Amino acid sequence: MNAARLIFDLAGAVAFVFAAVMVVHRNPIKSLLAIVVSFFALAAGFVLLSAPFLAAIQVIVYAGAILVLFLFVTMLLNLQTEEETADRRPFQKLFALVGIVALAAILLSDVRRSGEITGTSGQPPATGAVEPLARALFSQAALPFEAVSVLLLASLTGAYVLMRRERSGSAAP
Amino acid sequence: MSVPLTDVLVVSVALFALGLAGALLRRNAITIFLSIELMLNAANLAIVGFGAKVGGYQGQIVVFFAIVVAAAEAAVGLAIFVAVFRHHETIDVNKINLLKW
Amino acid sequence: MSAADWVIVVLRPLVPVLGAAMAVPVLTWAERRGAGLIQDRPGPNRVGFFGWRAFGLGQPLADALKFFFKEDITPDNADAFLYTLAPWIVMFSALVGFAVIPYGPPIPIAGRIVPLVGADVPIGALFIFAMTGLSVYGIVLAGWSSNNKYSLMGGFRSAAQVISYELAMTTAAAGVFLSSSSLRLTRVVEAQHASFLRWNVVPQFFGFVVFTIAAFAETNRVPFDLAEADAELVGGYHTEYSAFKFGAFFMAEYIAMTVGSAFIVTMYFGGWSLPFFHPTGLFGGLVSVAVFAAKTAFFLLVFIWVRWTLPRFRYDQLMRLGWKVLLPLAFANLLWTALLVRSGVL
Repeated sequence: MNAARLIFDLAGAVAFVFAAVMVVHRNPIKSLLAIVVSFFALAAGFVLLSAPFLAAIQVIVYAGAILVLFLFVTMLLNLQTEEETADRRPFQKLFALVGIVALAAILLSDVRRSGEITGTSGQPPATGAVEPLARALFSQAALPFEAVSVLLLASLTGAYVLMRRERSGSAAP
Repeated sequence: MSVPLTDVLVVSVALFALGLAGALLRRNAITIFLSIELMLNAANLAIVGFGAKVGGYQGQIVVFFAIVVAAAEAAVGLAIFVAVFRHHETIDVNKINLLKW
Repeated sequence: MSAADWVIVVLRPLVPVLGAAMAVPVLTWAERRGAGLIQDRPGPNRVGFFGWRAFGLGQPLADALKFFFKEDITPDNADAFLYTLAPWIVMFSALVGFAVIPYGPPIPIAGRIVPLVGADVPIGALFIFAMTGLSVYGIVLAGWSSNNKYSLMGGFRSAAQVISYELAMTTAAAGVFLSSSSLRLTRVVEAQHASFLRWNVVPQFFGFVVFTIAAFAETNRVPFDLAEADAELVGGYHTEYSAFKFGAFFMAEYIAMTVGSAFIVTMYFGGWSLPFFHPTGLFGGLVSVAVFAAKTAFFLLVFIWVRWTLPRFRYDQLMRLGWKVLLPLAFANLLWTALLVRSGVL
């Protein structure tokens, strides 16, 4: 049990607890804040796995932009606390829970044997440096890099078109 | 002085299961969406964990692209969500059950 | 790791944080006296110590006591948890930026070489960008949880402003990272050590302009303080806050200003280094820290100066400036820097 493992376990526990709060809490804003904390803890986990750049990207993009977008939408639509309804569907929930527990059990039984994994990629282990990651990103992954920039442009356009209020009487595509 | 792979994967599976539970059991569309993002993050953590174990930067690159794609998907998904909300006035997914309004 | 190591590790980030915390009262005094000087009036000069007027230096103390003793009101329908949490998110995101800004050269202390930086992380500047991005949450939550239309509008406007100018800021900073070929802030400072012409403000002047303007916008300082504009939004996102929570917002703004100035100094003006000065030993280190403090103080005075000189931007002007002027200018700067680096000049 070394320090890195201890801190990772702690960060993982924090991430799990706050993710549980997110799943359970009825108020959409509080659950969103809980998942922000959870992603923050995940970013700490990334740092411990020698991926500090990814940790920064996680906080800047995921916690700092995507979740802010969620927050804006939640606030703009003034989404209220989820109420109980008459339509409770207990069997659906029960089967869902059973399915999830079964899946988790299957995955965990595989995870228990993960200590025996011995394959390597033949490359040296990742250090915390950004330069080798940048080299790999812009040489091997140059095409996907350009492709995601086009993807972002497409999603930007799509989001804009979807959010436009339709003009009355207009049938423009 | 590093994190064993088993720890990483246990956390990843736990978060994935939580995300799945949220996506299946909640009725609030935003919470469902957040649970899906949680599942994506659990997968990202697992990929980075494997990358740390086998060496090289492939894992980090894959996760980089996964985060970017998740951003694009969140933008479009929320735009769709707002458009749906404008018509139905509710976000309870049990009530949004007709293709045509 | 011995006890001395632990003490050093704890003190390294604490020194700039404490420095900033102590600078905040001086800043409030400088702000109000500076405002007075610019507006051709004396400014507060009455509050002193034991009968000696002392140029009004007791004013910050009086303000701090006022914040402590005022009644702490929580509005009726406000979400109490979020209402109380919001100022501390903003304060946290402002303070933690000091963890990665280098304030001095590596100096020998107690037999080991100690770099004068909180944590020399390989992603240096990205850490600051990540943390200032978190301040959006504090602002939006403050606006939302106050249960007040003015607060909500102020919160949204401010959040949109911070997000928009974040883009221009990071693109301008990308030019600096390109020329110093690293994200590490100690490396950025080192790369500017050679001469005054190597200070990034010279080859990347427009990047510096974009970065500074964006820093003004990020800290909600005039001319970008629309979110708290008195004439339009009462107090914006901190309308409903009183006493200590308002004091927290107030302090957080000044601390963010200090982090912003320190960041500008590090990225564009060589940080703690002076070209002809190669510090070794403890004395050289302390002189470098003083140099850094002096440069940061200069930019803080620029912040104050601009506040009382320029009128406030209207919201649409603000957004247009951020997206249509600063962002293209930052990209042009990036292209220019890439040309300089490629041609071997930098």
